[in-house]
Amino acid sequence: MEIIMSILAGVLFTTGVYNLLQKQMLRIIIGTALISHGAHLFILTMGELKTGAPPILEDNIELYTDPLPQALILTSIVISFGVTSLLLVLAYRASKENGTDNMEKLRGNEND
Amino acid sequence: MISNLAALPIVIPLIVGVLAALFHKKLKLVRVYAQVLTLINTGVVAYILFYVHQNGSVVLESGDWMAPFGIVLVADMLSMTLVLTTNIVAIACIFYAPKSLSQKQEEFYFYTFYFLLISGVSGAFITGDLFNLFVFFEVLLMASYGLIVLGGEKVQLRESMKYVLINLFSSMLFVTTIAFLYSVVGTVNMAQIAERVGEVEQTGILTTIGILLFFVFGTKAALFPLYYWLPKPYIAPNPVISALFGALLTKVGIYSLLRVFSLIFVHERDVTHEFFIWIAALTLIFGSIGALSTNNIKLVVAYNIIPAVGFMLIGIGVYNSTGFSGTVYYLVHDMIIKAALFLLVGAVAYLAGTSDLRKIRGLIHHYPLLGWMFFISAFVLAGIPPFSGFVGKLVLLQGAMEADRIIIAIIGLGSSLLILLSVIRIFIRGFWGEKDESITPNRNAARGFIMPVAFLLFFSVLLGVGAEWFYPSIESIGDYLMNPENYIESILKE
Amino acid sequence: MLFAVFLPVLLAIFIPFFSKWKEKIHTGYFVLLAPLSVFIYFIPHVGNDFSPISQSYNWIPSLNIGLDFYLDGLSLLFVLLISGIGTLVTFYSIFYLHKSERLDQFYVYLLIFMTAMFGVVLSDNVFVLYSFWELTSISSFLLIGYWNYKEGSRYGALKSMLITVFGGLSMLGGFILLSIITETTSIQAMMEQADVILSSEYFGLILALVLLGAFTKSAQFPFHIWLPDAMEAPTPVSAYLHSATMVKAGIFLVARFTPIFSGSDWFFIFVSGIGILTLVWGSYMAVRQTDLKGILAFSTISQLGMIMSMLGFGTSVAIFAAVFHILNHATFKGSLFMIAGIVDHETGTRDIRRLGGLATLMPISATLAFFGTFSMAGVPLPFLNGFYSKEKFFEATLEIHESSIPFANILAQAIPYLAVFGSIFTFVYSMYLVFGTFTGEQKLDQLKKKPHEAPFGMLISPIILVLGVIIIGLFPNSVNSSFLAHTAEAIYGQPMEAKHIQFWHGWIPPLYMSLIVVGVGVVLAFTRKSWNSIYSFFPGKLSFNKVYDFLVDQSEKASAKITNMYMTGSLRLYMALILIAILVCSFSVLWITDGFAFDTSGLAEITVHEVLIALTMAVAAICTIFTRNKIAAILILGVVGYGLALLFVIYRAPDLALTQLVVETITVALFLLCFYHLPNLRERTEKTSQKWINIVISVAFGTLMTVVAISAHSTKLFDKISDYFLETSYKLGGGDNVVNVILVDMRGIDTLFEIVVLGIAAFAIYGLIKLRNKKEAE
Repeated sequence: MEIIMSILAGVLFTTGVYNLLQKQMLRIIIGTALISHGAHLFILTMGELKTGAPPILEDNIELYTDPLPQALILTSIVISFGVTSLLLVLAYRASKENGTDNMEKLRGNEND
Repeated sequence: MISNLAALPIVIPLIVGVLAALFHKKLKLVRVYAQVLTLINTGVVAYILFYVHQNGSVVLESGDWMAPFGIVLVADMLSMTLVLTTNIVAIACIFYAPKSLSQKQEEFYFYTFYFLLISGVSGAFITGDLFNLFVFFEVLLMASYGLIVLGGEKVQLRESMKYVLINLFSSMLFVTTIAFLYSVVGTVNMAQIAERVGEVEQTGILTTIGILLFFVFGTKAALFPLYYWLPKPYIAPNPVISALFGALLTKVGIYSLLRVFSLIFVHERDVTHEFFIWIAALTLIFGSIGALSTNNIKLVVAYNIIPAVGFMLIGIGVYNSTGFSGTVYYLVHDMIIKAALFLLVGAVAYLAGTSDLRKIRGLIHHYPLLGWMFFISAFVLAGIPPFSGFVGKLVLLQGAMEADRIIIAIIGLGSSLLILLSVIRIFIRGFWGEKDESITPNRNAARGFIMPVAFLLFFSVLLGVGAEWFYPSIESIGDYLMNPENYIESILKE
Repeated sequence: MLFAVFLPVLLAIFIPFFSKWKEKIHTGYFVLLAPLSVFIYFIPHVGNDFSPISQSYNWIPSLNIGLDFYLDGLSLLFVLLISGIGTLVTFYSIFYLHKSERLDQFYVYLLIFMTAMFGVVLSDNVFVLYSFWELTSISSFLLIGYWNYKEGSRYGALKSMLITVFGGLSMLGGFILLSIITETTSIQAMMEQADVILSSEYFGLILALVLLGAFTKSAQFPFHIWLPDAMEAPTPVSAYLHSATMVKAGIFLVARFTPIFSGSDWFFIFVSGIGILTLVWGSYMAVRQTDLKGILAFSTISQLGMIMSMLGFGTSVAIFAAVFHILNHATFKGSLFMIAGIVDHETGTRDIRRLGGLATLMPISATLAFFGTFSMAGVPLPFLNGFYSKEKFFEATLEIHESSIPFANILAQAIPYLAVFGSIFTFVYSMYLVFGTFTGEQKLDQLKKKPHEAPFGMLISPIILVLGVIIIGLFPNSVNSSFLAHTAEAIYGQPMEAKHIQFWHGWIPPLYMSLIVVGVGVVLAFTRKSWNSIYSFFPGKLSFNKVYDFLVDQSEKASAKITNMYMTGSLRLYMALILIAILVCSFSVLWITDGFAFDTSGLAEITVHEVLIALTMAVAAICTIFTRNKIAAILILGVVGYGLALLFVIYRAPDLALTQLVVETITVALFLLCFYHLPNLRERTEKTSQKWINIVISVAFGTLMTVVAISAHSTKLFDKISDYFLETSYKLGGGDNVVNVILVDMRGIDTLFEIVVLGIAAFAIYGLIKLRNKKEAE
């Protein structure tokens, strides 16, 4: 299953990167969201899957899944959320201000 | 008890920054508050550095969870030296800020972002935990996002998009790489990672993971071929913010490279460190070419960040004690001079009303002091004695040549000339020449700009002329980095 | 010596105060104090019983950099030259520079230069020497740019600095290598290890690097091009820096290292070869000039070449002649520069085509010029010092050692002929200079001012120098054993007999050579106009100035071209380049270190519903690429997010699942909110090639991640630290939910700062929205 999950995460990265390489802001941001999903899936997979019960201690259970990756993912989810929100507002503002949501048109030149 | 010292440089600016948000509209108060507390924080940091210098590293196991299980904060000579330099830069910036920022920019949480940036940068220097490093990266990046969009100008918004996106991508790559590393060595504590990677001689996939980490940090540090995002976004915001970015952000990247590739991934040097030398050479060449390519004085300075990073990578690549010492010395030097230069060109652009060099001439007749400070900065930057750049460069080149890396040393020397040309032409064309009578000098503003820059240049001169007061400590950092077991033992003391 | 070296800069600190009174008393009088007292301090060292003195002061001992001063014959000669000529030049400048000029700046630069120059010649530590060396370049830059409102000044200043700093940097490279090989930074200590240096594998490189430093500073071919442009500086500066002292720093450096390097034939080939070439080229080009200072500049270049070549010969005669000529050149060239300045000052022009017949109007200057130029030309008269050193030079060219390198022997054969050839031209331009200016027809109508003799004060310095020419000429042995012999010995590296200098040697080859020079020279000087046209086709268009201009110009243009090629501002290009770099390097490293691993043991079982979820997510992710409706795209993205939440449930991560659900919902809402007003997704209109590039990059990147992930998963080498968390969560952390305990306790800092990140994001978003509203309201 870990192999399949790795491939799935790889697919998420692939589609994310592909979207990132587009011109339109919305697509680019969708790309970043996909990449962060992929990253979280990788973290989870790296902690081995289904090796035991959820890491909530109960008597007479010996095996638990690895709690650390879960903690890391939680932190990362929250951070990604913050960044994505900012990015969304920024993209909105940037496109309004510059009158286009095409990143290829937002190149600028030397002196501005 | 004393180990809590390690957390202070992170916690003080955090609390101060949050409190600053409470009275963000009372500008007079918040300015004084920010200035005083920056000074106090610097004092605390200086004391900690002194303490560490006398008594050795201070390791804080947060929440009393013993290493490697909890997060450790490690105040060693390297991290504290850099934190102190950060704060010195911060002092100059905070006194420059009121003169340079608009009222709106100040009101919209500049001071909060500023303190949280300091907190994040200090945290990145101090933490001994790889995932926690990621978190501090995010803190400082998020603060930098807040700063870069401050004001909401068209250009700013445009460049911020690129800046945020590329950094976001590299952050995601960072967490993924941490996960890979965790899978192999089962820990995120840097000391333990180092120990474990050493035990298995960095076999198998580990080197590839190391290279991925190199790209993560290399993107932040603006190495070739990853620096495209840097020049334009750095000059989009206010000069104070450019100065903070130029002085601090890329340096966190190079610090992380220094830490990780002196501590953890040191067992396949024929692959990794050999590779760094090449990257360093290309960074030096393309960076100095970039600096020569433009007539925008702010952009010239922004491009000059790149070859400096190339220099520092040489020290990591040659992997000897001299090289490491050189990197650290150059790091301190570069933080200070980059801040000074950004503040200077910011002042020039403000006073001349443009940052296009073709439209500026004869400024020295109006602002002699500014001109001479720029002149000195040019030589500091190019590494001409007796200033700080010379000592750093000399030690780095010695390190390279000791390791028989002659070609990279010669490239380094050659790029020094290009760097000098790139900035001295600003002096020749912008400051020399006939007096521009169309300018009505604004001496009051100039005076406000000059003091913070003079403060920074004082350190540049001190680090050069008074190198003996600093170099022995830096040299010991070089030795310390060559012997990672010191670091490991100080944390995992079993 | 420390005080002597730094006296000028100390004085410089007070110059701004002195210059406040410049209307009453010329600032130059205060400045005189520095060189004069240094001269007086050092002059007692001249004597037969001289022995080297060294003094050390700490600077940066941990880098082996100390202010180690070493006074031997060589440095004594230079210190006396610098301070002596410095005194005369300062005195001269008092009359040359009007009080309305920015005297404070001029004298501060000049004093900085003096310190720098004393430092160069007295330092025994290579890095300190380098420091002072660069300081001379910087002060020279400032002095050339003194009248920086002139385009020519700025051009000349930059040119001189670029070329000399280039040399300085390469010299630094050589010094670092030397210090690593010999493990010392002291030149004297290096000399004791000359054999170690000569046998080092880096010797060739060291030699080249150090000589580059010397050649650029001493304006040797083809780096000589900066010197003529440096003539934009005020004349006292030209006389001082660009003739008598700074340009001799390169000579000094070669002399200093002669005991180490002279064991190598390459040293002879480079130093003598370049030197003699410079001599010929400089004197040839000097005849072409029309500016008095231009003639003198090329003349200086050529004379420096002559001294340089003698150092390369390495014989005792040659070294002695070189030392003797350093002294002589300073006297006659210094006086000639000052005369050129006087002519400029009194007539308003330095263009020799507009001058002529000034001897009657300026008799004293003319007389002085006659002595100077005849001495420079090497006219055999017993009261001209230039003749003696010129003849010693001829003598030296005939006694070059045999070498094992064939080319060196060919060069040695050619040198006497080249020497004579160069000297003929030296003769020609000397005559051209003096006769063109002071005799012939007067063209007063072409002058800005009516010329008359200079004020007496201005003449004092050149008179003293010309007296030096004559006295040394009449009593050539007066400075011999007490002074020059020590200098020569310091360069030669071993005791040598004092060379007796006399006017009449008998009919020997050097005399024939001198006579040929005078004979042919007279003929050429008289017929100059008829052969002057050779200059129009040789050197013609290809000059090294053009090369320099091209390089500097291109350094900006080509840089701009290269940089603009990839710094296009296109995010997509940047991302693509970054990704390609990551891909190429990571796959290579994976290949080189054989990092791939694949191990299926201990994997979780594959269940149908998991596979189905995975498939759905994958399909949804791919659909984001193809959909053209923005709302659909956002919702499909939501599918991926909710799918991830489901996976979290299946993989025993209830907290994660909850968080993911909440976050995903808010994110989708935000997406919808922000992009409601924006245009819909468009058909992608890119070229097929661009599309394929994107596909290849993204697939490759996904593959890289998957491959590394599988390999990492298959190489689990250690126990995880998590076991400790499970054990201690309740005992020490007081909580059953281990993930929660980790978050709030064990890794509490992460969580704290994660909240900080959110907080900053909130402030930033608030600012983004708020600042806009205000602007739009306006």
